[in-house]
Amino acid sequence: MAGKPVRTVNAIDQTRRMLSLVTYLKERPGARVEDVARAFGITEDELVSDLDVLPMCGTSFRGGDLLDIDTDGERIWWHNPAALGEETAEPLRLAADEATALLVAVRAVSTLPGLRESDRQALLRANAKLEAAAGEAAGASSRLSVTFESEGGVFADVDRAISERRRLWIRYYSPARDELTEREIDPIRLVSVGHTYVEAWCRRSEARRTFRLDRVAEIKILDEPAAPPEIELRDLSEALVQPAAEDPEVVVEVGPGGRWVAEYYPHDSADELPDGGLRITLRTPDPASLRRLALRLGRDGRIVSPRDLADSARRAAREALAAYDGVDAQGPHGGHAVHDGQYDRQEQGL
Amino acid sequence: MAIAKAERLMNLALCLLGTRRPLSKRELRESIEAYLEAGSDDSFSRMFERDKDDLRELGLVIETVENLDGEMGYLARRDSNRLPPITLDAEEAAALGLAAKVWQQARLAGAASGALQKLRAAGMPEDVDPYEAHGALEPRIPVHEAAFEPLMLACRDRRPVVFDYRKATAAHPEPRHVEPWALECWRGHWYLAGWDRDRGAERVFRLSRITGKVRSRSGQFAAEVPDVVTVRETVASWAGETADRSALIRLRPGSGYPLRAKATAVRELGDGWDELEIPYGHGLDAWLVEFGPDVVVLEPAELRADVVDRLRAVAKG
Repeated sequence: MAGKPVRTVNAIDQTRRMLSLVTYLKERPGARVEDVARAFGITEDELVSDLDVLPMCGTSFRGGDLLDIDTDGERIWWHNPAALGEETAEPLRLAADEATALLVAVRAVSTLPGLRESDRQALLRANAKLEAAAGEAAGASSRLSVTFESEGGVFADVDRAISERRRLWIRYYSPARDELTEREIDPIRLVSVGHTYVEAWCRRSEARRTFRLDRVAEIKILDEPAAPPEIELRDLSEALVQPAAEDPEVVVEVGPGGRWVAEYYPHDSADELPDGGLRITLRTPDPASLRRLALRLGRDGRIVSPRDLADSARRAAREALAAYDGVDAQGPHGGHAVHDGQYDRQEQGL
Repeated sequence: MAIAKAERLMNLALCLLGTRRPLSKRELRESIEAYLEAGSDDSFSRMFERDKDDLRELGLVIETVENLDGEMGYLARRDSNRLPPITLDAEEAAALGLAAKVWQQARLAGAASGALQKLRAAGMPEDVDPYEAHGALEPRIPVHEAAFEPLMLACRDRRPVVFDYRKATAAHPEPRHVEPWALECWRGHWYLAGWDRDRGAERVFRLSRITGKVRSRSGQFAAEVPDVVTVRETVASWAGETADRSALIRLRPGSGYPLRAKATAVRELGDGWDELEIPYGHGLDAWLVEFGPDVVVLEPAELRADVVDRLRAVAKG
């Protein structure tokens, strides 16, 4: 399934799971492997590996009864459920990390602008019940918080279009080219990773595209049904668009004040320079889109290659200066900006 | 073959949960095969201490009781380990299912699944499959910063830390002694708010600028932790989101959509330019320069000079 975090075998997670598993299985003789795996959000293989360990475990002091649990691969049988006393099999309280992980996530999602009201209410109710059940363990959850940014109106329209399987018309802003374009898209899913994006099949470019909701200037739900081709959903947690190996290479040298470039642009390498700066090599399908970066960097950095990109930034700066003719600009000013993602990598493909 | 750690932890947990009287270390060693095979007393003791810590980490409350002979005994009482009754309807169950998938960080992803499994064992409804509900919405909390986990634990346990931090414009990192209060993720980046011991003031740090390891310091917090810790407001002001003044610019028609979206007033001049009033906060100069010849700053003079200064640097190449 797309988007599922990669699981590593971890003794603590497995122990935690097995403790819940014995409580769960005790009440369900002959439970189906498939159903239990689904209920626990694990693969059947993971469940079977738990079932291999459980017969080596028991409660009683001095080698008493071990749990006699086995499976034929389809159903799970527990031949001596009494080996686990009534009390020992009760559901366990939540640990601080468990309460934090769920509560922080529930609160973050519940504040997503544009979320359906019924979903928001369910999240808020779950939050309140969970807080009550977690008790003291819920305390540390206030030390962690996450905000998802979204455009409520755009979100609600996209959400509706997805559930009604309808096509959308949007006017979309591309910072790389500083232009608005109109396109029809067949929305597939909404992804929130800090900002919220809609992944869609773009009819104009005949390709999968990701659009950031706060860059949608206008949106309309069309009457036509959406017909996105069957495409495999990728895990979008790493990067929304990864540069391709055949994309042209750009080399940027920045001083200490331009080191943020390495934090915001996916790059192949960032080598330290003697003055505390960096030499950054990155790839993009459209180097011209980096003119904005060259202009923004000012004295904090420069494009080393390609040459014509560096030249176009220089030309743009000179042309801009011409409008200030006659102005006596003062000396150098400080004031380094903190960059809030004016540029985002997914625009490279647009 | 060495006995798997999960098997050892499970046995210890079941022994401690199943007993009504405290069990001594010796009794536990004799009843758990992995401990019998542990070799020397020392290596058993170390293993036992680690295992107890691990079980506590996953939420087990283990009590230490001294018996009449002065020997230490251990048990996990049902009263202190039982989940209080919680009844969730199908919608709430689906909401929690969605929330449990949000973490991209291994430790919290594991903890979230673990919590969901405990709720399942406690009878959370299954008629709606929470892993399939909300199929079209995928919230994800990205965590790429190595400093996240140690800082999360330090915030949780209120432990002072020290780490090397490279300020945005600094060439070299400097050590910072911090009492960590809270972590916040905004626009996909993680920030820490806390008390900076060297500066004697509250500070916000960006996790991606922490270089090297986060090390714990012994002792308690010296400064009082405020009831409400605000990270986002501080970061937003760095990012120029909190504008306190306004600027007057000229913009080519059709260009600069985000500037127009922020504008408080727009006038079409008809001579190939539009005139806009926009909020003026930190960082506006760098942003305006990105638009090259499509933008001209009129007022205030300070902003105009900053932009010209930046343009000159680029023009010189």
